[in-house]
Formats: sequence, structure tokens, C-alpha cells
Amino acid sequence: MDYSEKEFIQLLNQNQKIVHKVCNLYLNWQEDKEDLFQEITLQAWKAYSQFRGDAKFSTWLYRVALNTAITFFRKDKKNAFIATVSEIPDLAHQLDRDPIEDKTKAMYKAIADLSKIDKAIVMLYLEDYSYAEISEIIGITANNIAVKMNRIKVKLREATLKNFERI
Amino acid sequence: MELDDLKGLINQKLMEGSPKMTENNFTLLLKGQASSVISKIKKSLWFEIACCALVVPLFLGIALFSSQSSLKIYFSLFGIIFIPFTLIFFYLLRKINEFDQSVLPIKENLYQLIKMLEDFTRRYFQFNMALLPICFLVALFLGYNEKEPIAVLDNLIDKLKVTKSLYIGFIVGYSIAMIFGLIFLTKWYIRKLYGKYIDQLKLLLAELKED
Repeated sequence: MDYSEKEFIQLLNQNQKIVHKVCNLYLNWQEDKEDLFQEITLQAWKAYSQFRGDAKFSTWLYRVALNTAITFFRKDKKNAFIATVSEIPDLAHQLDRDPIEDKTKAMYKAIADLSKIDKAIVMLYLEDYSYAEISEIIGITANNIAVKMNRIKVKLREATLKNFERI
Repeated sequence: MELDDLKGLINQKLMEGSPKMTENNFTLLLKGQASSVISKIKKSLWFEIACCALVVPLFLGIALFSSQSSLKIYFSLFGIIFIPFTLIFFYLLRKINEFDQSVLPIKENLYQLIKMLEDFTRRYFQFNMALLPICFLVALFLGYNEKEPIAVLDNLIDKLKVTKSLYIGFIVGYSIAMIFGLIFLTKWYIRKLYGKYIDQLKLLLAELKED
């Protein structure tokens, strides 16, 4: 193993949460997630020679991971991810029902139903990236990101309410 | 129920069920095969280049050493037409390799990917279609100049009492049906391979249009 490969693996190992999160956000089935994980790893390795270090490795990895996930399509299965509300255990009959947990699940489902592009914006927003940083990764203006984010928030609020009532 | 209120919890949830990978796991992953559309196109291009590399010297060799003039014309034409296409395939491969190593913003990445796929499918279609008129015209020319009668065909024409105009009509009809059939089939095949994927990418790109 040469030095750059070792260095790359160390960096990827330290930042593996990013790849896991992207895989979990975009795909539902374990097998597909593993395929996407490998695809992101290989894509990052192929592009690593172009990584100059002028951006943080984590930001660069987000860009690689999101580009790969967005253009990654599976033929046989739907891209619907995570458990749908109907698959979430019916908590109504449980006495120790946790409203915060229910709200999180409802919000999680709402994020799952967003488009691939909106998911990418939400993911970066959850990581506390500024609109300017998100705009660099997505490739549209910061103003546009702010507009999109406001719309996404409204969409999520409504969808979460609906999902919460169904739990 | 705002996104900001649940940020931390959603972040936690996004990590649920993810196995902790070790450096050894990553080393193994790097030895795996990519399954992206780009890697499939690369394989496809290498296959086309390998075919061209095999066919060009073979056909030019036949053209050079054959004693029959019809074979000389046929194989030299085909041998020559494969040469520019080999260069085009190499050019596309170089572009794809460059793209594969770059990390662009998502919008630009989608735009470049669509452009590359459309370029590839266009060239692939042109490559297949370029052979059609050559096949057709060369076959017509060689058939017309063939001095030796084909006994089986002549007997069949005599038996069926086919008139000259009917015969020409059949040839023209057959040629038109064949050409349109092949154009349709090639378009359908390319669309089946990449069409749906390009459409999906275009939808994603449309979402990123500035408001």
C-alpha cells in the first residue's frame, strides 16, 4: 500500500460517518446501502489525486458522496428509504410512548419523502453548513439555497404533522 | 415540529444501524469493482475499442490480400470507417476519465454527466448508422456488377413469374423496411440502456434551476 492510499484510508476512516449518513439517507435496503458505500469509497479514491487540501476533507467527501448518491439509481427497488410510517411499530398501544421519538420518526419519514436534491440540502443543513458553503457544494447561489431551504422547512412541517397523526 | 428542533435527533437517527468500518475494511473496498453508469460506459467503450483494434487490421488485411475486387472494396471500406470511430471512442474515454476524477458541484456534475451520456449515445448511434448506407450501397454496387448469375435466385424468379418492376419494388420495399427497422431497433436499444437514466438526471437538473 503506498503512502497516498494509506493517507486516504485514514482520512476516510475518520470521516466514515459522512458516508454512512448519505447511504442511510438515500437508500432503504441494506444491500443497496453497501453497494452505495463501496461506490462512494471508490469514487472518492479515484478523485483523491485531485484533492488539494484547500477545502476540508469532510466537505470534499460530502461533495463526492452526494454526487455519487444522487446519480446512483437502482433498477428493481424503489428509492423509498428507511421504514415507511406503516412499517413503524404502532406505538399507540404502548403505554410508554415517547412523543419526542414519535416526532423524530415522523420528521425522518418526511425527509425520506423529499427529492434527492432536497435531501442533499437538508443533509448539509443538518451538519450546520452555512448557506454559502451549501451553495458551493450544490452549485447554485446562496440566495437560492435560502429560498429552497425555507420551502423545504414548510414541506417538512406539513408532512411531519401528517406522519405524526398516522403514528 | 420544526426541523431545527429535531436536528440532533435526526442526525443520530441517520447513523442508526451503520456498522463501524475499520481501515482493513476500506482497503478491501478499494479492491472492489465500481457499478456506476460511468464505469459501465467505460467498459463498453473499451469493448468497442478492442473490437475496432481487432477488426481494422483484419479487414485491411483481407482487403490487401484478397484476389476478388468485390471483397477488396467491401473490407477496405469497412476497415477505413472503423479508424475514425476508434479515435472518437478514445476521445470519449479520455473525457469520461477526466470527468470521473473530478469533484464538481452537484449541479455542474449533473450537467456534465447528462452531456457525456448524450454524447456517448449520439456517437454510438452514428457509429451504427454509418455502417448502414455503406453496407447497403456497397451491396447494391457489388450485386449489380456481379457477372456470375445466382442460379437458385434466377430459378426462383422464373418460377414465381416475378416481373422486373415487381422485383425492383420488392428490393426497394425491403431496403426501406430494413433501414427503418434497424434505425428503430438501434434507437430503442440505446434508449433502453441509457434513456431512462438520462431522463431521471434531467429531472434532477431541472430542480436546480435558479428561481
